[in-house]
Amino acid sequence: MSDFDAVVIGAGNAGLTAATTLQRAGLRTLLVERHSIPGGCATSFRRGRYEFEVALHQLSGIGSEGQEFSLRGLFEKLGVIDRLDFVQEHDLYRAVVPGEYDVTLPADWAAAVDVLSDAFPGNRERVERFFQLVKDTTIWQMAAMRGLPPEQVDPTYFRQGLRPLSEVLDDHFDDPRLKSVLATYWTYAGQPPSRLAFQDLALMLFAYLEFKPWHIRGGSQAMSSAFLDSFLAAGGEVRFNTAVEAILTERGRAVGVRLDDGQEVSARDVISNASLPLTYAMLGDAVPTTVRNDLATRRIGVSGFVLHMGLDATPAELGFTTSTTFVNADLDEDRLHASWHTLEPARGICVSSYDVAPIGFAPSGATHVSLMTLQYADAWDKVSPGEYARAKFAYAETLLDRVEVITPGIRDAIEEVDVATPMTMSRYLGHPGGAIYGYDQDRTENWLFRNSERETHVPGLHLAGSWVATGGFQPTLESGHRVARRLLRHQAA
Amino acid sequence: MTHRLAPLFEGYTDIQADIDGRPADTADHTAQTSRTVASYHPRRLALTVSGIITETVSSATFRLRRPDGADLPPFLAGQYVGVFADGTNRPYALSSGPASLDHWDLTVRRVPGGRISNHLIDTLAVGGTLTTTGPMGTFHHNPLFHGDDLVFLAGGSGVVPAMSMIRDILDNGLDRRFHLIYGSRTPDDVIFHEELDAIAADHPNIRVDHVMTEPGNGWAGPTGLLSSTLIKTLAGPLDRRMVYVCGPQALYPYALRQLEELGHPRRRIRFEANGAPADPTRQAHWPADADPGAEVTVTAGGTSFRTPRGRPLLDALEDQGIRPEAACRSGECGLCRVRVLKGTVHNAEEARLRLSDERFGYTHSCVAYPVTDLDLDL
Repeated sequence: MSDFDAVVIGAGNAGLTAATTLQRAGLRTLLVERHSIPGGCATSFRRGRYEFEVALHQLSGIGSEGQEFSLRGLFEKLGVIDRLDFVQEHDLYRAVVPGEYDVTLPADWAAAVDVLSDAFPGNRERVERFFQLVKDTTIWQMAAMRGLPPEQVDPTYFRQGLRPLSEVLDDHFDDPRLKSVLATYWTYAGQPPSRLAFQDLALMLFAYLEFKPWHIRGGSQAMSSAFLDSFLAAGGEVRFNTAVEAILTERGRAVGVRLDDGQEVSARDVISNASLPLTYAMLGDAVPTTVRNDLATRRIGVSGFVLHMGLDATPAELGFTTSTTFVNADLDEDRLHASWHTLEPARGICVSSYDVAPIGFAPSGATHVSLMTLQYADAWDKVSPGEYARAKFAYAETLLDRVEVITPGIRDAIEEVDVATPMTMSRYLGHPGGAIYGYDQDRTENWLFRNSERETHVPGLHLAGSWVATGGFQPTLESGHRVARRLLRHQAA
Repeated sequence: MTHRLAPLFEGYTDIQADIDGRPADTADHTAQTSRTVASYHPRRLALTVSGIITETVSSATFRLRRPDGADLPPFLAGQYVGVFADGTNRPYALSSGPASLDHWDLTVRRVPGGRISNHLIDTLAVGGTLTTTGPMGTFHHNPLFHGDDLVFLAGGSGVVPAMSMIRDILDNGLDRRFHLIYGSRTPDDVIFHEELDAIAADHPNIRVDHVMTEPGNGWAGPTGLLSSTLIKTLAGPLDRRMVYVCGPQALYPYALRQLEELGHPRRRIRFEANGAPADPTRQAHWPADADPGAEVTVTAGGTSFRTPRGRPLLDALEDQGIRPEAACRSGECGLCRVRVLKGTVHNAEEARLRLSDERFGYTHSCVAYPVTDLDLDL
């Protein structure tokens, strides 16, 4: 008999939901995590009087009570809903390109139409038509993913779903500023409108407009701890500060893992929340050729550069009226995307102010803000370790320069600031290139062309998380749960 | 791999051609990632002691190198490394500058009744091996908001990170003013005495003032504690200069009072963490009826043992041969985080817990005290 029914490698979002789902279904589950704390990206850390949210910018999909297909339903099923307090954001975002636009989009379909037609007169019907396509595309995509026969799917979805976002925007609008405002969330997928499938932006817009953007009191760490709590309460076992060194196989089937202390743990199933390259590397020579060939055509995705800041001023004093602001240099998204391979001054930043709707991380009268730009690790390849600190702080200054556009004088309020680079992401996530969304989420990287989540080509091995699904909180949380349920269904059958 | 629906989509052919036409990425990403992490933040390093310098009667500098002579991981002047010895570990600040990574210097001072510092000074010999962590800690100059005009109040071995900061300024030719006000007991106790004075004499942007509490007859310089009057006399108006403080625990509340008397804003003062509180019962929230000498039963890692309430949990666990990961041992870094399943701990003020930690029962064992019998999950 195996030591465990299932071993889950990595306590990131997907690892936590997978482990919790399995253990609550009665499988004896071991969760193994390299770090001292669960969460992966979904964590926080302390500096001085502040706690800093590491990764959660806006949680999509929570929705209101009773709303179907929401993440809230998943949280209820996994026994964590009562352990968490959600904080709602009332705006999607404020989008700013100096000299071009400064628009705050409310988190409501009709109100968003109003704001956009005020800011860009004459576009009301076009925006309405675009939003309708966003809704239809998302609904048909979900139906198609769930296996609805193709003849029952609206052909419009097949025409529009995989087109580049830029083309669909061009179909609807003439004003480049309006297109830019509507495409703003492209950075949440890391691919510019010319390379991002329309259905991916549609899904994001739908998830935030329909289910609203949320934060969590206590940050994403509260969520990670709540999942772990539920997992442990159901009888699960966890090992922190422990890395998995190898996935053990017998006649091509995964049968357990070897831990970094040399201990071998047998299990009927192994679920990996580690990166795809690392997971398959842990199989040694047992990697099937099909997998090797597939991985060779996939591209390590984008990482990020973040300033975690504690500011000795209120959000109002700083001029923050909304939680999430995007500030870009201009309307050229391809140029911005190209700049992520370099250390040229940051051209676009996402500014998250966690005290407009407070999550509890800043003391009274102060504000926790993060500034983030995406960036590929190769921007740092030429920097020697001895030059690293200087380069890091010099680049950080360019994000501060960019945020000064909306909060002049923000530097004077800094009480704490810590900087994370793609190297930092590599260190804490163990991901190649410090990738935060897995592989580059371009049009080749979705469920229509890749199916590592459904078919790992190694019996007994299952994969969950951003490397096999989509990046981001909601997709990875759902991926872990989906993989676990598939495993359970398979065992039942 | 392609889904059966994919060919129904407009654009399918182009995307499939993109995938098929890509040059194969055959890089060993896992090995690259491991190399990156190892060159910046290795978990452990086994280093060779290549030299020992006697600094004072009670302090020594250990020069550490990699056995293969390669560069050590980069660090920020002021940071520490964890040093493993005698069944436990302690943080020691690096005294060398970050410009020369072929070696690290650890400067260690004997502590009366101290365990690891004395052990290192008594037993470490040239050619010996020392296991350390990578560089850690947040007590360093941060150019994003610290400015270029700095004051450092040091007491005793608290001068070590200041030495590294000064070397950083000199070696890298930084345009930065640095004023060290360094309190020692006697002139013989001053670490880096000659070197500091020589640097100050040669570099107008570096100023060093020594202050003695037991000056003896030969001392003509300032004496006494690092009082507000003395700070004002030596440093002039502090304005918004960043003030670093590092030294014995007793220095911290005292220095804070002095700086506050001078009207210096709290957020322009940075203290280096310095261990668990010497006497946790002096903190206001220590439960009145809890005798720190009385023993309680702690159950963890499959065993139960008795330990006094006044002993930090981390030390108590190490007494039993249980060694949670740990580094700063001052409540900050969070590596020694454990979960309290049953019972109550006293979290010292030093504990930098997360908001959710309190809710889910986590504590930083280095500054947590078992007030009642405890069940822990490690």
